[in-house]
This record gives sequence, structure tokens and C-alpha cells, in this order.
Amino acid sequence: MNSLSRRAFARSSLTGSLLLNGLLSDLLAADRPDPLAPKKPHFPGKAKSIIFLFMSGGVSHVDSFDPKPKLTTDHGKQVTFDHPETRNRPGYEKLFLKKPDWKFAPRGKCGIEVSDLFPELGRQIDDLALIRSMHTSHSNHYNATLGMHTGSFAFARPSIGAWASYGLGTENRNLPSFMVLAPQMPYAGTQVWASDFLPGAHQGTRVVPGAEPVANLRPRVAQPAQQKLELDALAEFNKAHLEHRTDDPALAARIKSFETAFGMQTEMPESLDLSKEDDKTLALYGLKRGQTDGFGWQCLVARRLVQRGVRFVELIHTGSSGNWDSHGNMADHGRLAKQVDQPMAGLIQDLKRTGLFDDVLVVWTTEFGRTPFNNTANNPGREHHNWAFTSWLAGAGVKRGHVHGATDEHGIRAVEKPVHVHDFHATILHLLGLDHTKLTHRHAGRDYRLTDVHGEVVKEILA
Amino acid sequence: MRRLNLGWCGMVLVLLGCLGAPSRASDDFEKHVRPLLLEKCVSCHGPNKVKGGLRLDTKDGWQRGGDSGPVIVPGDPDKSLLIQAVRQTGELKMPPKEKLKDTEIAALVRWIKDGAIDPRDGGPSRIGGVTVAEAKKWWSFQPVRRPGVPKSNYTNPIDAFIAAKLAEKKLTLSPIADKRTLLRRVTYDLTGLPPTWEEVEAFEKNNSPDAFAKVVDRLLASPQYGERWGRHWLDLVRYADTAGDNSDHPLPHAWRYRNWVIAAFNRDQPYDEFLREQIAGDLIAAKGPPEKYASRVVATGFLAMARRFEHDSDKAMHLTHEDGIDTLGKALLGLTLGCARCHDHKYDAISNRDYYALYGILDSCKFSFAGCEAKQQPRDLVPLISPEEWNRVVKPYREKLAKLDAEIRANTDARPKYAKAAQDAFEKSRKVLSTGEIPDGGDKRLPDSAIEVKPGEVVFLSITPLKNHGADTTLVEFEIAEIGGKERRWNATADLVDDLLAGNPHKDRHGNEHVWWLLDTRNQPLPLAEPVRDVSGKPGLHAWRNGDTPSAVVNSTKAEIAAWTKLPARSLFVHPAANGNVALAWLSPIGGKVKITGRIKDAHPGGPDGVGWVLEHFAVDVRTDLVGLAKAAEQRAALERQKAELVQSAPKQDVAFAVVEGKPADARIQIKGDPEKLGAAVPRRWLEALGGQPISSPTSSGRLDLAGWIASKDNPLTARVLVNRIWLHHFGKGLVQTPNDFGTRGIPPTHPELLDWLASEFVNSGWSIKAMHRKIVLSETYRQAAAHRADAAPTDANNDLRWRFDRRRLTAEELRDGLMSVAGTLDRTPGERHPIPPESSWGFSQHVPFSTFFETDRRSVYLINVRNRRHPFLGLFDGADPNATTPNRQATTVPTQALYFLNDPFFHAQAEKLGGRVFAKPEAERLTELFRLAAQRDPSQRDREFAERFLERYQKGLSDRPAADRPKLAWGALARIILASNEFLFVE
Repeated sequence: MNSLSRRAFARSSLTGSLLLNGLLSDLLAADRPDPLAPKKPHFPGKAKSIIFLFMSGGVSHVDSFDPKPKLTTDHGKQVTFDHPETRNRPGYEKLFLKKPDWKFAPRGKCGIEVSDLFPELGRQIDDLALIRSMHTSHSNHYNATLGMHTGSFAFARPSIGAWASYGLGTENRNLPSFMVLAPQMPYAGTQVWASDFLPGAHQGTRVVPGAEPVANLRPRVAQPAQQKLELDALAEFNKAHLEHRTDDPALAARIKSFETAFGMQTEMPESLDLSKEDDKTLALYGLKRGQTDGFGWQCLVARRLVQRGVRFVELIHTGSSGNWDSHGNMADHGRLAKQVDQPMAGLIQDLKRTGLFDDVLVVWTTEFGRTPFNNTANNPGREHHNWAFTSWLAGAGVKRGHVHGATDEHGIRAVEKPVHVHDFHATILHLLGLDHTKLTHRHAGRDYRLTDVHGEVVKEILA
Repeated sequence: MRRLNLGWCGMVLVLLGCLGAPSRASDDFEKHVRPLLLEKCVSCHGPNKVKGGLRLDTKDGWQRGGDSGPVIVPGDPDKSLLIQAVRQTGELKMPPKEKLKDTEIAALVRWIKDGAIDPRDGGPSRIGGVTVAEAKKWWSFQPVRRPGVPKSNYTNPIDAFIAAKLAEKKLTLSPIADKRTLLRRVTYDLTGLPPTWEEVEAFEKNNSPDAFAKVVDRLLASPQYGERWGRHWLDLVRYADTAGDNSDHPLPHAWRYRNWVIAAFNRDQPYDEFLREQIAGDLIAAKGPPEKYASRVVATGFLAMARRFEHDSDKAMHLTHEDGIDTLGKALLGLTLGCARCHDHKYDAISNRDYYALYGILDSCKFSFAGCEAKQQPRDLVPLISPEEWNRVVKPYREKLAKLDAEIRANTDARPKYAKAAQDAFEKSRKVLSTGEIPDGGDKRLPDSAIEVKPGEVVFLSITPLKNHGADTTLVEFEIAEIGGKERRWNATADLVDDLLAGNPHKDRHGNEHVWWLLDTRNQPLPLAEPVRDVSGKPGLHAWRNGDTPSAVVNSTKAEIAAWTKLPARSLFVHPAANGNVALAWLSPIGGKVKITGRIKDAHPGGPDGVGWVLEHFAVDVRTDLVGLAKAAEQRAALERQKAELVQSAPKQDVAFAVVEGKPADARIQIKGDPEKLGAAVPRRWLEALGGQPISSPTSSGRLDLAGWIASKDNPLTARVLVNRIWLHHFGKGLVQTPNDFGTRGIPPTHPELLDWLASEFVNSGWSIKAMHRKIVLSETYRQAAAHRADAAPTDANNDLRWRFDRRRLTAEELRDGLMSVAGTLDRTPGERHPIPPESSWGFSQHVPFSTFFETDRRSVYLINVRNRRHPFLGLFDGADPNATTPNRQATTVPTQALYFLNDPFFHAQAEKLGGRVFAKPEAERLTELFRLAAQRDPSQRDREFAERFLERYQKGLSDRPAADRPKLAWGALARIILASNEFLFVE
């Protein structure tokens, strides 16, 4: 059943009286604006939707996207820093530079260097805009993760996905506007996708790979016809109730919400169902037929969701444990990179061949980088490092095959054109056509925004 | 005032403030100083920017000073921060991008030396974002004055006020709602539950004039009242059962505060006292009587409930205090005090100094510590009995303990003597069989050894830490096999795993005592002395240890145990100390040739390095020394055990998560909110706009004063804010529609006279909340119908004038409790503590935070509130935010809520229960029963036709189910429809 006839099917369950076509729809259109109705941006934006790839735990920039030959030649040299992760830490009185574990090579036509950690993604480098001068305000997972999502490093605030939904609404009312594909809970828990003081409709809906990806999605009544009968009856009963209360849009909105929910029951599983994808597509993402988990699954589902009009799709790899937090051994980076490299490269190619790449902004980031040094040069791990890391953008509105900013010779500090998380957020909102200083919400006597009182759009990265 | 010529004495002039004088000093100011300040300073320290909180465009500005305190000391240039800054000799260098000319600096110095005469009136004094005069005039800062009641025919003054405003727009109140609607409205409103059909019937039949008043009295007296209205308060104080730090440590004692709030509402505790106890309950408790001690201590949970932050929450108390000040301001005063943390409030009469004046009060207290990732165990929990009372209770125990301690001291410790003898014997006979290291995560089979042993000789496997990184849990396999003879085997794991704690030394399986020894060999060899059962709360994980390490551990179960690392089933582990070895020794019971095999494996990979090992043979009979040592150790251990048992039986005190006095001190301003950039100290005092009184004693925190300032009839905000909240919860919106903000960004009251009349009535009634309910609920304004009116809607679409009752959606709690109530599944007993695991087992981290939702059949107010992970049901239906004060619930309508009614297992279970209750009745009574239970009304003829049609069609569709089951299933489906309906979900 295509989506049009399915919607018609859902609607038919409510057409027992003239109310829906007349009064009900009037009520819905009238004085209670639907928080998710599509809204005009502040100015024409390049991106219609966002796929936000979040690597949890802290990806080492000097092992992936930020080549530092000097780090190899200076391997073992002692350095001195007042670093938040080593300050007053027993055993960390002395610090030594530590060379990367992966080799870098120029990739693509642009010749930007990427390490062997991401060989497949490296092939797509001509479509990426790297920001090698990212920095953030906290070196703790919890706070840095919260900061990367909400712009606040301590307090609960709305997530960037909620802000995007608040700013632009959504195109498909059978699906939530902000969806989070997360097999595990991230650091800071549900605050990462919370709407906080924004209306609840903007909070992220978490999708968990497996039998019931979204709570209460699977019909509990065995036969669809029986459920439809029940919904028809509920609509009839509610309409009888509404007859004497024709002024109340809240009642009408709730009647309507059952129609949407009914649609979600089919549209959501359909959008998560990869069985109609051909083998070539599955291969792009490194997926086996029938596979319903892994980062490849997350990436392909993300493409299907933006195709269906979902405004903001976040993919978290992996969660608050078993992640990129390679203190013990950087070899873990190799294992984790294998899980995401092919799927991300596949996503870029798939977006390009389906023509979505011009409308969709792909954001790749982590909460912070990892130290280019450690307490011994031979320590196999790296520590948290918030002074510098790399993120990248690709797709709608951004330059292709571009590098912005730079770190110092050892990758320790962002020295050229540093980009703080607030600047990063301002840029993402800009690409959606939203001015980060104007996207505000009045709460408790104050206008709040994603970027607090900070943030500059990184103009040089815009196409 | 007229001008006085006092130019000969600048100091006097300054003291007289606003006077100007035609003098050298004044000329100096006009010629040299005013232009200089204007050109070089005012762009950053003036009306447009107020950097560092300092203004130099007015006299008032420099007199007040900035974040670092006053910048000019008239008469003393060297002590004036302004001069230090322009001289650029210290840390502060001004102007930031240049240095003033020497002549310019000299002009400033001379001006200050002459008394800093400043004729600039420069506009009025300011507090925060407004002038002092504006602050004084602000409506909510005016004293509450009881206004006259407008003349009308209404007996209830509330109606008179409302009707008078309506009349201005030629409107009137709506007629009174029908009785069933009214009863459903007031029952949900006062108890959060639907009425029963019997209650509806009784009320409908009672035609006496006080029938409704009786109903209200009944509801206010029911324990369910406190559970409903206590929840409103818990929303406001962002009640939670976890701390909110990175690992979201649970608060096992928070429930006491929750239940205290519920009980306080039920007993109608006067609101002023209710507030005072929450701010300073511990201090009030100390004054007696003893029976009120516990509840008053618990009440300070309001302060203690402030959110904790970060990895080590002790280090982020400035954020916790911000949360405390912000919540205190919004919830109790309707002021956004939190806005003044980094700078003066932009719009309201709250200065940065006000913020730190209050900060000092909070920071002078000791807050219970919840535990955090860096420090797992809670501390500073507050006992529920007074120190004197506790001393009385604990006295017998302390005496016994002292006696036992004396015995332990008197007991001659024979251990060193034997240990030294054993050590000496070892030194003389040491033969190293093998030695080596394994790296992090390493796994190594030891080289086999074959040796000749005599009875009483020892084979010794030592595990040793490497470098300075301490060491790791190390899996050990160790076996000694007799070559020839009886070919007996001694396998350490097999001998120890089942009954490790039977003894150390431990017997073998051949009936020999004292064969296996687990030794701390950091100095002299000493048996690990402390037996620990179920280490980290893991059943079957047992250990011998001396302190934390060194230790020897077995997993005696048949499954892997995930503790600090994954410990495989039925295995033996040792853990050396950071500063020395642990050893597994075999005291030979035989003479003959033996083969020694073994394996060591790093059982906790991820540390930066591994461990070393040494396998040794001591070819001398050390039985006498070692057994002597074991006996001495056992004697010692027996006393220690006795002591441990006594300690175990020590009287325990119940504790609360609460606040007590700490180290009283004024706080220093944190410049731009940065706790590492400290400015001048601010004396602890009340908000300047509300009087600015200092605390009464610098040796106290000042909380008693704070409690007094807030819970005072002279405070213009406290009563207004609270009566507005009561009004809000009865009517869905307040008279002030920004209930947490009575400042200039808030919305002014729609009915200012009514608000003040209510506030004054409230205080006069002795701050009785229940009296306020009666007044409001018995009014016609409250009892109006909710129906739409074509005459009124065009004039006042938002119903700000209250021409009808606003229909409202049930809150999350009302929905869940209502469903369970009509399904007959609700457990109405009060909840107590949540089954949070014991503190000793905690090891929460940002990687694996606490995030458990415990199920309960009790009312929703007793559900667990987790800060970092919203409760799925409460989150779905707009429950309170446990991280920030929630003055009013939102009522969103989203499709995921509809999915809940379609498919949620809990919802289905409740509907099935309701269907079952209905189905148990004779067929003819079923529909009436369903409507009476779920909708508290009789079904209409239309309902009957609707139900008949549905039941028939639904049963037809169940062709795949046995015919006998179909009717019941259909009734279940009909129950779902009624429970999912708008009629059920909305109150009018």
C-alpha cells in the first residue's frame, strides 16, 4: 500500500459523520497552531533535513582526520600542559607525545589526508567539509555530550534536534519530526534528545533496533480490522462528545492524533523495513539481507526517514559504554571504525545517487578528541581532549572536499579559525535557514536559544 | 538642599554625597576627569556595556563598584582599584588596549586624593535592571493591602470580584454545572482521582444547601488530598529520587521528604511554618519538641533536593547552589533570581550582589552528599533524632565497644614474633624456581618445575605489581602433583573455591590442615585476615583481604560474575597491593618429589600494565613458625570478629537527605559566574529590593533569617505567589499567568484586587491552604459550567475574565491513577522507600548510571523520578521536569500518546480488568456498570445504541476465537474505547 492510499484508509475510519470534513478540520486549522506544522525558515535554507552522526566516547582526531607528521617525529618527547584530564592525576606527572597508530594518505581529487582508520569514507572525501579546529568546553563525557547536543554543559536544555523541529516543524505527520536511532542509552541519558522547555512534540523519539523499535508501535489487537473497528467506534464516541463542545480545539486535536497514530503504526515499521531495498543498496551500507541492527542499519534507516520528511535524524554509535573511549587501547578505535566506515561511506553515496544530498545535511561529530600525548609514549591508549578535535559536514549547503581550520603541529590546540560547539550549532542552524540568534523560546522570563549568548556561523565552510 | 561652600574639605563633601561645589576639586573633575572617563572608560562601563558589573558614568556607579568591589576609595588613590588598574602595575590593566598618559593618570590620582568629588547625579540608583524608584513602584513589591469587595449580590467575595470585572465587559458568570460534572471536577481537583458512582448518586440525591460544602470537606479530609496537592508542590521543587550528577546516583532517603510534603498538606500545616521548616527545619527542630524533630529535619530536603552536577559533584556545588537559588526564587517568591548569577538581572530588581548574598547563606550549610562517580558512597546524611537523644540510645553500645577495644589492646599480639621467625627462615632457604612478567591483558602458563620437598617446606607463588600503577585482579591456577607415592594432587582452585572462607590457612582435600596460605607479603608474611562474603553485593564472590588490597577472591558460582571486571565461573584470583605482593603458598604435608604447574592471567585488562610473578621454594621446615603465626592471627581474628559482630549490631539511626549548618562565611562574587574568578565578598543578607536586612548572627548560616524573610506576612510576594498557585491548580491558569515570574517579564495579574484579597485572606486565616480551597471551590466562579457561550467568547476568547470553567486534560498522574482506580487495581496505601540496591554495592558511573524504574501499583506520586532519564509514562503525558521547577503542566497532544491508548500493555491490562468487572454482571446491567465505573454516569439511549452496534460488529470480527470467549473480549474492547475517550481524559 503506498502512503497515499494508507492515509486514505486511516481517514476513512473517521468519516462516519460530516464532522471531520467540516468542523473538525476547521478546528484543527483554527486558533491552536499545530506545533509540528511546517514553518517558514528565517531565510531560505539549503538543508531540509539533517542526519546527525554522533560517535560516543571521543574519537581521536590525530588518528583519523587530522594528520600530524610532527607527532610521529616527536614521539616520546616530553611536553608540559595544565590539562584538565591529567592535572593532579597520580601517574600523570609527566606527559609525552604519542604518535598516531594509523597512517595518513591523501585521498580523492582534493587530496585531503585521512588515515587508514576510515578507508571507505576516505574515498568520499571530495564530498566532505572537515573542521579540524573544533573545541569544546568540558573534558567529561557527560558534560561534553550534553554540550554537543544542547549547547549547555551542565543544565538540561532542549536538544539541537528539538530546536530544528521547533524552528521548522515537520513534513510528515505520520512520523515524529525528530528521531534518534540509538541502540544504547548515551551519556546524560534522555537529556540528549529532550525538548526540555520546548513543547513536548519536539522531543526526540528513540528508535531501538529490534522487535519493538518504538514504544507501543505494534498493534496489540491481533487483527487490523478489529483495531480499525475499535478506532471507528472511538471516533464515533468522541464525536458525540464533541457535538456539544464544538469550540474546543484540544478535543479535536486529540481525535486527529488517533488518526496519526494509526498511520504511524504502519508508516513507522514500513520506514524501518529494509526488505524492499535492493541488494546493491544493502551492499553500499555493508548490510546483509534481513539484518536489523548495526550502524549500517541505522544509516540506511536514516536515509529512509529523511526521504519521508523527518526533519532531524540522529544516529548514536554506540552509547555510554563499549564506545570510542579508548583509554586502555587505541586498537579499539580500529574495531569501532570498521563498524561505521562502510555505512557512512555508503550513506554519502546513496544520498548522492538518490538526489537527496542537495537537501540533506550530514553532520559527523563526537563529544571531544583524544590527547596526542599520554603519561608514557608507549601507553596504548589516549585520554579525553577537549582542546581540539575534528568534525565534518557534508551535503546541503556546504563546500565539498574542503578543510576548515587547523590545530598546532602536534594536534593539541585548535589554533587556526577555532570552531567552538556553539559556532558549530550556529552553522548547522544557518544551513537549515535559521538564524541562531532569532530562534528563541521564552521560558521563565528569559529568551533561550541553542547557542546561549555565543556562536558565530562558520561562513567559510558554506558552499 | 542649597549649595554649601565646603571646598576646603573634600571628605566632608563626599560624605554629603550629592553636593557640588565651585572649587578646585570640582573644576578638576569637570576639566580633566569627566572627559577622561567619558572617552576612555564609559564605552565599556556605562549605559551600553557594564563590563565587570562596573559603571563609571555615574557617581553611584563607582560607589557601588563592580564584581571586585568599590573601585575608588575617596582620599586614597593607592587603595583605589581604579588607580591600580590604570597604572597597569597589577593583574588588572585598564583600559585593556592602551595605557593612559601619565598626565591623565595624575589627574585621576589628584581627583581621588581630593576626595573624588563627583557632581554627576548621573541618574538614579539602580538595583539590577531597574531603578530603585521603579523597584519601589513595581506592583508585586507593594505591600498586600486588603481591597474592598465590590458590591454585588454574591455572598462569596471571589464571585463579587469576578462578576465586577465581567460586568465591565457586559458579561456574567455561566450557570452552575450539573451535579455529576461538578463532583467529577472537584474530586479530581482535590484528590487526583475520579469519584465513585456511589458518591455521585449520594451527591445527586442530597438537596440540602450545604451538600457541596460537605463533599469538599470530605475530600479535603481524605489522605488522597495530600497525594494530589503534595504533588503540585513536588513539581515546584523539582522533586526527584536521583541526584542528577553524571552517574545520577539514587537518593534512597528522598521519599521521606516526598511523604513529609504529602503529610504537611493533609494536616494543613500553616504555609509560613511549612516554608520555614523547609529552609531551616533542622534549626527549628533543635528547639524542640522531640516528637517534631524528625519531620523538621526531613523538611530541609527542599534545599537538599537541589540538583548535583558533574563527575565529582562536590566540585560543582556552585551549580547546585544556582539550582537552589533559582528554585527558591521562582517557587517561593516568583522571582527569577537565578538570572543574577553572572551579572545583574537584566530586567528585574535583582543584583549580582543579591545573588551572592543568598549564595553565602546556602554555602554556609552542609548538604547531604548523594555519592557520585568519583565518590560512590553517600555522606552527611542527617540523623532523624537529636544528638542528645542519639547519645542516650547509643550509650550502652559505645560502652561495650570501648570494653572490647580495651581487650584487643591488652591482648599481646604474637604475630610479629612468628612472622619474623618465618621470614628469617625464608631468607635463608630461598630458591627461585621461576620469575617473569605478564603485560596488560596477558595470560601465561608458568614454566613447569619439579622439586624435592620435605614436610613443612613451602612453595610460594607471589604476584607483584609493576611500576606505579598499582595492580590488577589476577586469575591464578596453581597445582602441585606428587610424583610417585600416592600421586596426590593439590589444586588451589579446587581446594579453595567452595569454602574459601572456612579458613586462612585452609585445609586441602586430603584431610591436611594448614596447607594453603593466602599471605600479605608486603613486609613480613601475614595471612590475609579479613573474610568478606558476597563482595560488592555479588552472591558467591568471596574474599580474604587486608584492607582493599592485597586480597584473594573466588567466584564460587557456576556463572561468570560481572563486578569491577568479568570474573569467570569457579575461579581463584589474587590482587596485589599497589605497594607490594600477595602470595599463595603451599605448606607441604608430604615428603617426596612434586611437579608444580600454574597459570596467571590478567583478569582486569585495560590498566596500563600487567603484573609480575615469582615462584619460590623455601627448603626448610617452617611449620612451627607458620602455624604459630596462624594461631596468633586466629586469636586476633576472633577478637576482631567479636568486634565486627558488635559493630554489626550497633543501633542504627534513620537518616534524611537534608541540610544542616556548615561553616558560616560570606561568599565572594564569582565573576561572570565563574567559580575560579572571585571578586569581592558580599555580606549575607536579604534581597535589597525587599529590604536588604543583614543576617542576625555571622556565626550562623543565616537560614533562620532567610526563612523569616520569606515566610513573613510583610513579604509582598510569598502569599501572593502561593494563592496564585492555588488558583492556578483549581482553574488551570493563575490570576498571574506566569506563576513563577512576578517580575517585569511576567504577565501582570488579570484581577489584581482579587489576588490581593486572596493573599490577605490567606494570611489572616493563619496561612491555611485548606481554608483557601474552601473559599475558592465553594464560589460560583468555580462551580460554573464549562460550556461554550456565544455571547462571551468573542469578547474574551481566552476566558481571562472567567466567564466559564476551563476544560482541562488529566495530568499524567491523574490518568494513571484514574485508570487503575476504575479498573480496581489501585493500591491506595502510601508508598515508602524505593527498592534501591544497598549503598555498599554502588558503582554507578556516567557509563553505567543508575536508571531503574521500579513498578508499583500505588498512586503515581509514588513512582520513582529519575533525573537523567525521564520516566517513559510521565514523560509522554507531560509530567513534571525533575530537573527544573514546574509551575504548571503542559497538555500536549501528540500521536505517541494516542499510540499509548492503542497499544500500551499497561493500558490494555487496566481495560481488561475493567471489562472483567463489567462482564461479571448480568448482561442487562453491563453497560450501565461500565458507564458508572468509567464515566460516573448512566449511559444515554444513544450510548446504548452505539454500544450494541459495536459489540455485535466486534464479536463478528472475532471469528477466529472460540465463540464462548467473544463476548468478554468485546466488552474488553468497549472498555478500552471508553477509557481512551476524550470524555475520560478531560475534566470539565
